[in-house]
Formats: sequence, structure tokens, C-alpha cells
Amino acid sequence: MQSTLTPALASSPQQTSRARKLQLLGILSGFTAGAWLGAAEAPTKLVSIGVSPLVISLIMVVGVFLARWSVPALILGTSSIRADVRRAPHLIIWAILAGCLWAVANTMTIFAIRDVGLSIAFPLWNSNSLLGILWGFLFFNELRQAGLRRWLGVLGGALIMCVGAALLAIASSSAAPVAHSYRGVWAALGAGVLWGTMYIPYRKAYLTGMNPLSFVTFFTFGELGMMSALAVSYLGLAPLWHQLQSARDVLFWLMLGGFIWVIGDLFQQYAAKYVGISRGIPLSNTNQLWGLLWGTLVFGELHGRGHSIYAQVIGGSLLMMAGVAAIAFSSATTSEQTRWKQAAHRESQRYNIAADYVEARMDGRQSASEAKPSRTAIDWLLVAAATAIFIYFGATARLPQIQLNWPAALTLSAASLALLIVCGITLHRTTRFH
Amino acid sequence: MPNETAPRQSTLACILTDVHFWVPVGVLIAGLLLLRSLS
Repeated sequence: MQSTLTPALASSPQQTSRARKLQLLGILSGFTAGAWLGAAEAPTKLVSIGVSPLVISLIMVVGVFLARWSVPALILGTSSIRADVRRAPHLIIWAILAGCLWAVANTMTIFAIRDVGLSIAFPLWNSNSLLGILWGFLFFNELRQAGLRRWLGVLGGALIMCVGAALLAIASSSAAPVAHSYRGVWAALGAGVLWGTMYIPYRKAYLTGMNPLSFVTFFTFGELGMMSALAVSYLGLAPLWHQLQSARDVLFWLMLGGFIWVIGDLFQQYAAKYVGISRGIPLSNTNQLWGLLWGTLVFGELHGRGHSIYAQVIGGSLLMMAGVAAIAFSSATTSEQTRWKQAAHRESQRYNIAADYVEARMDGRQSASEAKPSRTAIDWLLVAAATAIFIYFGATARLPQIQLNWPAALTLSAASLALLIVCGITLHRTTRFH
Repeated sequence: MPNETAPRQSTLACILTDVHFWVPVGVLIAGLLLLRSLS
């Protein structure tokens, strides 16, 4: 098997240069994902109402659902999604499965924060990046033939980031309730395992050639379906409806948080596609750093706290940045990428998918047999419907009475927007969003 | 091109014999059980 694959998978100088470009694109996507996933916390901080965290999660997921259909329709059109599904229909199951994993993990974080507080819970579930490295190695040939330096860079970087995340979480948390510490620790670890495992479907889809924009449209059915089922089973239908009614004034802010989260998640998907899950997950886990920037600079969360807290924040941030740098400088070598291609070849053989399609998509382009994506009236209808729903809830939203540092908010928004534009343009030029 | 020489399993059989399917399914079931015991 090895000998027959080697000639087809051998790399020419042009292929090596293209692969390097895609690696850089993946790293940039990981950074952009961190910024937008962190920014998604900002609208939720505007909400201080007495509704269940499960309801808050559910409303955010509704915003996520709207974004997951309208954004892909706007960028490539649903015809491209249909074409992807025709080529690899089996991946719908993995997309829905990943969405279910996400929803259960997200619910567990609510229990974890309640029982042990953010300072203990966050570093525990952030360990998902270590599990991602394990799954990437075991199932998708990631870090195979990568050499000791890259192993140290990725694994060491992820561990340093976990320590940095722990410091940041301790600094940003208030006095944590510890009444049910075992329960909270189990919940946080459970969330980490579920999120770490969720990246198996991600990587499988992208090795098989599916476009991230297609994958997320089915992912969201699992996400919304499981989240609704959990909310109904925990709260009951009538109390859930009552709480949704009482949260009417703030629905917009929560849905907006969901929308921003989708932008970040889309870049996370491209990071998983082009640098693999072992590197993509830790890079996008920088969202904690961005969340902290929003919390401290815009919402004044650490205002008046002691010097030791600021030392923890600065130390934690520096550690996270060092970890990110270690991972970013450990991009996959040609031999490791050849192993990725072998994993992709295995998938195409198993599910009878055209090898030229898988190879082209791994290379960030369309195969010769594919039609150019185009938008139809249905796509514009989807975009218009999602926009109208957001405008409706925006018009009925209550302006929160909360003190904000507007210059800091504008600066962080501008930085996130700049990353979005740079990464969006690079993705378009290099891969046409494939 | 798809491999047409080897006898092919159905898509369902391919999925059900794929470890990439059972690991997330197992973790999801364990997660739901854990969630039930936590609440």
C-alpha cells in the first residue's frame, strides 16, 4: 500500500510552495477564530436577566442556526452545499454527531461554572486541545514523521497554553462556589472530552474534501436539535416557553452573540482543515485571551483588583502567546503532509469518493469536474429571511443600562474586523473559500 | 476516480464499521449519561 501511494503523493516544488501557503492560511484562520470566538462573549455580557443558562444557550444557538445557513448561502450559495452532499452524503451523519457533541459539552460547562467556578472549569475543558492532538495522531496521521522539534512545539505549546489559560481563568473569576466540587470537575472534564472528540468529525470531513461551509450547515441541526431536547427535558416545555417570553427584550443580544460565534467557528473550521486539529484547536483556543480583553478593557471586570491579579493576567497572557507561537512555528513538514494525504486517500477509498475531488479540496481548490458555485434566488431568500429576523429582534431589543468603555470596544471591534477582512481576503484569493 | 475493482460495502456498512463513527458516538452516550448523573 505504502509503495503504490508514494509516487502519487510525492511533492513537487510547486506543491510544496502551495502547501506552505495553505499552512500559513490555516494559522491565520486559527488566530482570526480566536478573536471572533472571544468577541462572541461581548453581547452576552450585556444580558443580566433571571433566566436559566440553558435558555441563554438555546437562544444563542438559534442565532447560530440562522448564521450557519445564511453565511454559507451568501459566500458560496446552497448549490455548492448540495454538490458537496451528493459527493459525500455519509458526512451528514458526522456533522450532526459533532453538533450533538457540541450541545452536550456546552450544557456541561454551565454545570461546571456553577459548581466549581470559571477558574477551575475553564482550564479543565481547555484540555480539549490535548485530546485533539491525540485523536489527530491516532486517526488522521497528524504529527506522524513530524520530528521531535515539531512534537515539542505542538505538545509543549498546547501544555503552556493550558497553564496560561489556568492563570487567566483564576484571575478573571470571582469567589467560586465549591459546594459540589467533584460534580463540577467531572462536568468540566466531560466538556473537554466531548469538545476534543468533536474534532474527529471536523477532520474527517475536511480530509474527505467537504467544504467547511457545507459541513456547518448540517452541524447546526445536531446543535439546535440536541440543545432544544436538553432545554425541554431539563426545564419542561411550558416553563421554557415562559422563560423565552420573559427574555424577549434581550433575545437580540444573545442571537447576535451566536452570530459572532459562527464567524469565529467558520475560521476555526478552516484552521482545522489546513493545519489539522492538533494545531488548529490550540490556536483557536486563544479566544480566552480575547474574551479577557473584552471583559477587562470594555466591561471593566478587573477594575479595582489587586496587583497580584494583574500579574496573573499578564503572566497568563504571555504564556498563552508563547504557546501559540510555539504551535504556529511548528507547521507540518512535507513528510507529515504526505501522511495526511495517505489518510485522505484511505477515506476516499473507504467511501468511494473520487480521488481527484479529495485531492483538489485538500489543496484548497475545486476539482476539474466540479461546477463553479453560483447563488440562486433561494440563497438570497435565506439571507433576506435571516436579516429580517435579526432586524425584527433588534428593533424590539432593550438597550442595556451598562457602563462600557467605548474607545476600547471600538478598538477591539476594529482589530477583529481587520483580522476578518485580511483572513477573508486571503481565504478567497488562495482557496475561493474551499 | 473511485475504486471500482474491489467489491464495495454499502455506505451504511462503511459507517457502522468505521472507528471514527463509534468513538464520537461512545463519547456522546457517555456525555449524556454523565449529564444525567450530574443533574
